[in-house]
Amino acid sequence: MSVKKISLKRELPTTTLSGFALSGLLVLTILNILLQNMPSKIQTAGDALLKLNATEGVANAVTTVVVFFRGFDTLGEIAVLFIASLGIGLMLHSNSKCNIKAESNFMLQTASKLLFPIILLFGTYVMIYGHLSPGGGFQGGVIIASGVLLLLISHKAFEVPHSVIVALETFAGVSYVLIGLIGLLVLDVFLGNFLPHDISQMGLLLSGGIIPLVYIIVGIKVGSEMSMIVQNLIQRDHDV
Amino acid sequence: MFEFFNQPEVIKTIVTLGSMLLFFVGLFGLLTRKHIIKIFISIAIMETSIFLLFIGLTFKTDFIAPILDKIHLDVSTMNDPIPHAMILTAIVIGMAVLALGVSFAIEYFKLTGKTDIDEMSEMRH
Repeated sequence: MSVKKISLKRELPTTTLSGFALSGLLVLTILNILLQNMPSKIQTAGDALLKLNATEGVANAVTTVVVFFRGFDTLGEIAVLFIASLGIGLMLHSNSKCNIKAESNFMLQTASKLLFPIILLFGTYVMIYGHLSPGGGFQGGVIIASGVLLLLISHKAFEVPHSVIVALETFAGVSYVLIGLIGLLVLDVFLGNFLPHDISQMGLLLSGGIIPLVYIIVGIKVGSEMSMIVQNLIQRDHDV
Repeated sequence: MFEFFNQPEVIKTIVTLGSMLLFFVGLFGLLTRKHIIKIFISIAIMETSIFLLFIGLTFKTDFIAPILDKIHLDVSTMNDPIPHAMILTAIVIGMAVLALGVSFAIEYFKLTGKTDIDEMSEMRH
């Protein structure tokens, strides 16, 4: 007697149902937490940081949190981005120089030549003014990488020079760690603010000590890594 | 007319329900689609819903952006800068993980020509 195999999965999508049940539980938990009042310590944590922020002389409080109070975490984040870029390069790198990108039309080619310097300028502006206005290294780096992407899809022969990317990444990574180590030597704190930072200078371009410097370095590293990721993803082998 | 939406409870409810709806859209795609790149995109949608929840819950009306000034040194009417910094980190890490996963999928497709996750049985035996 042969046992007829009954596909349970066909009749009852257990995976889907259990997934929905789990996420429903999650929603209920979060709603339960949110409907109660937050503890007062959590509510005042941001105010305490904002008061501390004034002593560093940087106008944008988010920049101070990212680069100064959480500066070591940002170094780890840069390392994660570097490892991801390295993995993508190892995965998708091919020695054959043939790429089968389609020829773009005339309007895209002309407009990209016109737009690329403006995108580069805007990215640099967002990067350098990260401690005064909304923006910063991550955002500026991604804007520059979007300009590189525009060039990559419009020009068939364009390729990001590998040696320039390597030089920029090495320079940015080494100088981030060096600034942190100088802070450790001078002030006994890793990434200590050893340059002059006075509250009377707040709002000027040259203010905040090392914070704008570190954010520019982060921007260079993010921009070069994102450009490399984009270029690796857009290149294809000819046998696919 | 829009003053009804300025109440903190209404904003919190809209943000919570909306981001949870987006989370469910991502979860539905994650569980029902078979194409591997669609699964990665569903994970990205779920991440986005969490970003929206985090930022939206700390948003307060009548509060200004956390940018200090010689005029605006009163920090009691500023928004909390911590969630913005946390979400900035989360966006970058999410982007890196998504790009790495997509590159793995591309390399797998180059080697085997498959994109359906049900057919991926190389490691099963």
